[in-house]
Amino acid sequence: MTRRFLPVLVVAFTSTALAQIGGDLRFCLRADPKTFDPLLVEDDNSEAVRYLTGGVLLRVNRVSQQFTPELAASWKVDEQGRRITFHLRHGVAFSDGTPFSADDVTYTMNRLMDPQLHSATADPFRSSSIPPRITQLSADTVSVTFGAPVSGLERLFDQVAILSAHSPRKLAAVLGPFQVAEYKPGIEVRLSRNPNYWKTDAGGRRLPYADQIHLQIQQNRDLELVRFRRGEIDLINSVDPEVFERLAHDAPSSVTDAGVSLESEMMWFNQAPSAPLPSYKKAWFASQAFRRAVSEGINRADLARIVFKGHAQPAAGPISPANRFWFNTTLRPHPFDVPSALRRLQEEGFQMRNGQLYDGGGHAVEFSILTNAGNRSRERMATMIQQDLTALGMRVNVVTLDFPSLLERMTQTFQYEACLLGLTNLDLDPGAQMNVWLSSAANHQWNPNQKSAATPWEAEIDRLMRRQASELRPEARKRLFDRVQQIVWEQEPFLYLVNKDSLMALSPQLQNTAPAAVAPQAYWNIEVLRKSSQLAGNR
Amino acid sequence: MTARRLFAIAALGLLLATSFGAGLLPKFSYSAQHREFTDAAPSLRFPLGTDELGRDRMARLLSATRVSLVFAAAASLGALILAALIGGVAGYCGGWCDRALVHGIDLMLSLPWLFLLLAVRALLPLNAAPLTSLLATYALLALLGWASPARVVRAGVRSLRDSEFVLQARAEGVTELRILLRHVLPNLRPILLAQFWTSIPLFILTEANLGFLGLSAGEPFPTWGSLLRELQDPLLVRPEAFAPVAAIALSVVCFKLLSPRGGYQV
Amino acid sequence: MRPLLSAFVSVDYPGRPGVLQGVDLEIAPGEILGLVGESGSGKSTLALALLRLLPFRGGTTRGELRLRERDLLALSERQMRAVRGREIGLVLQSPISALNPAMRIGRQIVESWQAHRDHSPDLPGTLEMVSLPTEPSFLDRYPSQLSVGQAQRVLIAMAILHRPALLIADEPTSALDAVTQAEILKLFARLNRQLGMAVLYISHDLLSVASLCHRIAILQQGQIVETNTSEEIFQRPQHAYTQALLRAIPRVPEFLPV
Ligand SMILES: Nc1ncnc2c1ncn2[C@@H]1O[C@H](COP(=O)(O)OP(=O)(O)O)[C@@H](O)[C@H]1O
Ligand SMILES: [Mg+2]
Repeated sequence: MTRRFLPVLVVAFTSTALAQIGGDLRFCLRADPKTFDPLLVEDDNSEAVRYLTGGVLLRVNRVSQQFTPELAASWKVDEQGRRITFHLRHGVAFSDGTPFSADDVTYTMNRLMDPQLHSATADPFRSSSIPPRITQLSADTVSVTFGAPVSGLERLFDQVAILSAHSPRKLAAVLGPFQVAEYKPGIEVRLSRNPNYWKTDAGGRRLPYADQIHLQIQQNRDLELVRFRRGEIDLINSVDPEVFERLAHDAPSSVTDAGVSLESEMMWFNQAPSAPLPSYKKAWFASQAFRRAVSEGINRADLARIVFKGHAQPAAGPISPANRFWFNTTLRPHPFDVPSALRRLQEEGFQMRNGQLYDGGGHAVEFSILTNAGNRSRERMATMIQQDLTALGMRVNVVTLDFPSLLERMTQTFQYEACLLGLTNLDLDPGAQMNVWLSSAANHQWNPNQKSAATPWEAEIDRLMRRQASELRPEARKRLFDRVQQIVWEQEPFLYLVNKDSLMALSPQLQNTAPAAVAPQAYWNIEVLRKSSQLAGNR
Repeated sequence: MTARRLFAIAALGLLLATSFGAGLLPKFSYSAQHREFTDAAPSLRFPLGTDELGRDRMARLLSATRVSLVFAAAASLGALILAALIGGVAGYCGGWCDRALVHGIDLMLSLPWLFLLLAVRALLPLNAAPLTSLLATYALLALLGWASPARVVRAGVRSLRDSEFVLQARAEGVTELRILLRHVLPNLRPILLAQFWTSIPLFILTEANLGFLGLSAGEPFPTWGSLLRELQDPLLVRPEAFAPVAAIALSVVCFKLLSPRGGYQV
Repeated sequence: MRPLLSAFVSVDYPGRPGVLQGVDLEIAPGEILGLVGESGSGKSTLALALLRLLPFRGGTTRGELRLRERDLLALSERQMRAVRGREIGLVLQSPISALNPAMRIGRQIVESWQAHRDHSPDLPGTLEMVSLPTEPSFLDRYPSQLSVGQAQRVLIAMAILHRPALLIADEPTSALDAVTQAEILKLFARLNRQLGMAVLYISHDLLSVASLCHRIAILQQGQIVETNTSEEIFQRPQHAYTQALLRAIPRVPEFLPV
């Protein structure tokens, strides 16, 4: 297993042998992009096109997870986090040659905030009732002023591709490394090099290196894999552990484990008071000791080793270690400790008789774990947990349901006992997780939409989350959110099982790869990716 | 008895005998996870190796064989009883009763039964034991599977009812009940038997499909269908993992050999 | 003498009305009446109509049907069932398909006796009367193991088991070879003589009934065109159709009373 963290954005190429570089890169989209308008993106495939073609004011570096300047050479946040002022880069032009100026930023922001546009990208900008005000201070200075302080304000701009206010080519004029050259529905989106892209390598060569990118539309993951093995595509952004192992067996250099990702797998007990469950079961699920005991009864290391073939690690809490800044480094995954689990259960009044656990009222402890049918890793995890918990005398039934039925139980009828699902935090900032942690939130899965916090610890999480939202100093926010992670670790409303690694397949011919654990993992540094064979061929 | 029937009986008998015999041995556990031997190659201890959770493939295959064969036969019997009742009433009574039941049969045959199965499974209590959920699945298969044999039974009963020998019996003053019991039913037997033997492989294959989709018995209970799920891995290279396919194919072929060809015509 | 059976019936099938149009028929006790008509003229339909079996074939019967003084059309189905086989016996047209293929013939005969259970059956006597063997090895056979002639005899045995006053035989010889035909004809004559049983003997062949029947009725397209003694029919046919039937016979035979 190779873990590479290459803290590089632009690799220095000094060799004159690279005088002629170019060539085509190929990889797959799962489906047709739903839109080519960067402000209307909602699906992953449109997002891929936006990432490859759009220029943004600043970007979250996918490896260092720091904000890096792009079209804005610098910026400043002031007025207690209500205003951000961008100083724009000079000498930048759109792909059609139209010069880039503050007009374009103003135009883009105004269009984004237009209520008629119904842009999902605009939603995070509307956190306060007063819409943000865009002020063009000079030809190269623009400020955006929000109605209320926004913590972690910069991250919002990573998603906003700047459009041209003046270009006759409208949306087709882009500031990113590539532009859309051709779209054959159902077949491919062909991108060509943006000749006016502003970045250069250390040798002064204009980026990107590649001439074209063929985004081939391929729904079937098995076929995608076959094509990768035939060398018809250059990368697969995320592969399953089994596929990874097989590829690694055949050609070790074709796969990369980029280390722990933002994806985690977790399980939780239904604590909704309105759930149609017997009251003794509700009592178990509401008991911290019960949840902790179950947690200690699960062999997370085995889950990671067997289900994920070692490409995962036991999880400690809601934030993956992949989230460098926000992860609470003091937390350790709950140990696999059956004696301790049994002790907790005994103290809570549970009793073991003939290998079966009974609660104080004499009810045999039996519950079901729900997961979505067709997800084999989750089914396997549930089956392993089923076996693990027999050591605690618990009878567990594994129930797989199609996703709509599962969601209905999870969100409407609350007819379930425990649920095993995965979670991906797309956003590194905990501000994006308000809808999970607030007790009044709809995604507060174990007991959603509470009128007032059901437990003191949930009340404390509410307070901490609200405070971090209005706090501007990152270190202070981090202290608050560390405490949230600590409480979740202690109370275990979610039993975090594993954090999955980011696994990808990369053609050994690809050069300058710097796989990241964060999307778009393999091609986040697309402007410097190129293929070695073309290098040889073009000389 | 032809050689092929003999072969079919011998092969099925062997399948059943080994699967039931093995069930008596304590060493065979279909659910024990030998986590230090996951995905192991065949060995003396694990003749078919282990699956990705370290469970003995041989033990799982044998208990799946037991369950799938017995349940398929039971479901086939259940479906047949329903088919005989409904098809029999339709064919014998005729008239509006026949028309209504034939509409019912057509409706059953046009139902999106996979969707129905999904819906019913979603309604099952969550803490149903794996065996219970399997039972429910097969019961549902039987409830859904009666329609096409019912159609055959109806046609058979109809032609028997209109046959010369039934008319002759009527001319002799034989009562309706005795006509039904002594003249119609005995002549229906070959039809019912043929339907029974042909339904079993259908149920086996349906369960295999359901299992492949993860809609059969709950974990850790093995059925032929749920064992097939291992084959979903596009890169699977272990030939021993294909043993369930061989077992299914063998039993389906045997049942096809057992089902009378053409059979008795009325 | 008062007739044993008198009928005046019309029959319709769905989509095919008027298969029988006012067929007028009387059979005296102990009489052999021949019913002759070409194929499709409605002979079998009439046989079924007399036993009120047409509803099982989808047909409806109108008119009058009397057995001695009883109005058969007024009987309930249950009462009618008691008439079938006990007072009127019927032998259907094709002997092989009129026997249940899944039942041993001994069992079939017992079934037909059990339909009424009015007296202890004289099974050996009956079998002897129709010249069938009485040993178990024969009775254990299935219909497929019988010759057509044997099957016909089994059917006749079943029909006369209850010694009905009237036996209706629908073309009993049409499927048989010439030798067996002659034997069956003799059998009917003997039954008539020994049991005093009236017979309605249906045939499409005027010649074959000539020696057997006392009287002959000619059926043409659902209507009786002429009824007369056999002698008269052969010697002085009245109706043009009867004359045509006679002309079709190569040579008019001598009248031979049996
Ligand atoms: N079940 C029935 N439904 C309708 N038509 C019938 C049915 N049975 C007989 N027929 C018709 O009635 C006519 C008389 O038939 P049938 O009595 O069998 O004649 P036969 O016995 O003299 O040959 C024929 O034309 C035949 O097609
Ligand atoms: Mg006829």
